[in-house]
Amino acid sequence: MTPKMAQPRFGPLSPRPAPFYSPSANALQRFRFPGSVIQLHPQHKRLLSQRPPKPHSSTYRKPERWDPYAELMSDKEKEWIIRLQMIQLQSENPHLDDYYYQEYYKRMEAKLAEEEKRGDWAKRETPKLTTPYVTKTEYYTPVVHIEGSLGQVAVSTCFSPRRAIDTIRGHSPDEDGRHPRLEVHIEKLFSALLEVEEAARRKVYVSVEEKQQLLQDMQRKVEQVYSQIRHTNPQESNEEFLPCLLVSKGKRLLARLLPFLSHDAALHVLTMVTTHLPMLISKDLDEALPVLYAPLRDVVSALSFSQLVGVLKEFTVTVPETNETILTLACQNEFGLSLLYALLSQGERLLSSNVPMEPNIGDFETWTDTVFQVAQQLSKASLVEPLFLPSNLLTLFCRYLDKRTVHQLKSNIESASGYLAVVS
Amino acid sequence: MNYMPGTASLIEDIDKKHLVLLRDGRTLIGILRSIDQFANLVLHQTVERIHVGKKFGDIPRGIFVVRGENVVLLGEVDLDKECDQILQRVSIEEILEEQRIEQQAKQESERLKLQAVKERGLSIPKADTLDDF
Repeated sequence: MTPKMAQPRFGPLSPRPAPFYSPSANALQRFRFPGSVIQLHPQHKRLLSQRPPKPHSSTYRKPERWDPYAELMSDKEKEWIIRLQMIQLQSENPHLDDYYYQEYYKRMEAKLAEEEKRGDWAKRETPKLTTPYVTKTEYYTPVVHIEGSLGQVAVSTCFSPRRAIDTIRGHSPDEDGRHPRLEVHIEKLFSALLEVEEAARRKVYVSVEEKQQLLQDMQRKVEQVYSQIRHTNPQESNEEFLPCLLVSKGKRLLARLLPFLSHDAALHVLTMVTTHLPMLISKDLDEALPVLYAPLRDVVSALSFSQLVGVLKEFTVTVPETNETILTLACQNEFGLSLLYALLSQGERLLSSNVPMEPNIGDFETWTDTVFQVAQQLSKASLVEPLFLPSNLLTLFCRYLDKRTVHQLKSNIESASGYLAVVS
Repeated sequence: MNYMPGTASLIEDIDKKHLVLLRDGRTLIGILRSIDQFANLVLHQTVERIHVGKKFGDIPRGIFVVRGENVVLLGEVDLDKECDQILQRVSIEEILEEQRIEQQAKQESERLKLQAVKERGLSIPKADTLDDF
């Protein structure tokens, strides 16, 4: 029996609260929910537990006749509405779903802490939002597709009074069955990748035990995505990566996945990209290849000398259809050229550093041969502007070539890129 | 004063006298008896109040069920302040007459405006072709 019910209700005119009764406390009292674990921000909880402001006792109400129509709306109905509104506020990831609420209370906390520190006791009574807790909703299908019917039916319960029906659903047959499946597949992989990236962001805030779990999850997902990209179609196992890579979103997916891959996996990707460079270049209609440059460059900077030489050797392979080397094709494409430059730059860096390289037999030969071939190609062909021109390229060429050739190279590179290729 | 999220805050206003302004310009005064999640309202002992100048008149309407989307605003009526009013209460017939006169005057001025505009070769689109909300 709440104090409110003990008092006689007064007519159509509203009863003024008695000094000991405060509407806000009453509302909270009436609507107590089972198993409540309040899902409020701690600062919010603190504010609510503070004594509510004293109601005005100065105004005195003269008692009026009893209101026979009072309490038309039962408590159950009121609870129903509150429950409905509360459901919208629940979330498993409050920082994502209710960013502004969380941020607001975080800042308020910080400000109050600051004020307390400075000894400022001016308390401001602002209206506070009371959010009684409601147990987490069970899942239900908001939109039902009845077999054999053309449309969909929206199921409304108190958990969701309205749910928009999608006008386009995947029940209609596609003319071209192959393509959407690949793109849908890539989308699914992308979702998995986004989760990995989210986990990577979150692991900074998370405790040590959770971090372990998080890392394991991440690793599992990364491997899943990697193997899926590699073999989209289990039967066509000789075409690794290619189906995904030919779609521009697939390139973006791989570009974002690369930072998470192990060194060996990344090297495999790099080698494969180089081997299939002609096809990738020729089929890159959206010009999405450059998106792969940055992550691949990072992979290149971690290569050992032998690995580097292995990749570089791929460039000298001749493409059967056009009878040209991959090298020639690369020079005419900004991504290809930039990749080539990155590889050469890495080689030069490794050579000029004092770190012992442990090369395999024949590595140096392959290296110098390739450099010569590259120099030849670069000096005679017209070059496109690369995405990035490393500064130590000419230093590299100076090692192996005569001054005249170097000079010619320099002018050719410069005229293409508009940069000045600096010789140290 | 603490408040609850969304329409739930109306729960505290139940069984209290409210003034409701509707989108079509009507003013209703009644006791709020019931609400739902869309803020549809059930008003009891409702009175439609018409204001013309400093005069007003009440037309008793009984029970109103108002669809939530048609409400512009609503608020609790302070019964103390309701007693001391500056406005003059008149009978229904009088206020309806006043309203009619006001409407006429408005229409007349609109007509003159339209005529003046037409004379100058301009055109103003009619109100019903505009999106009025």
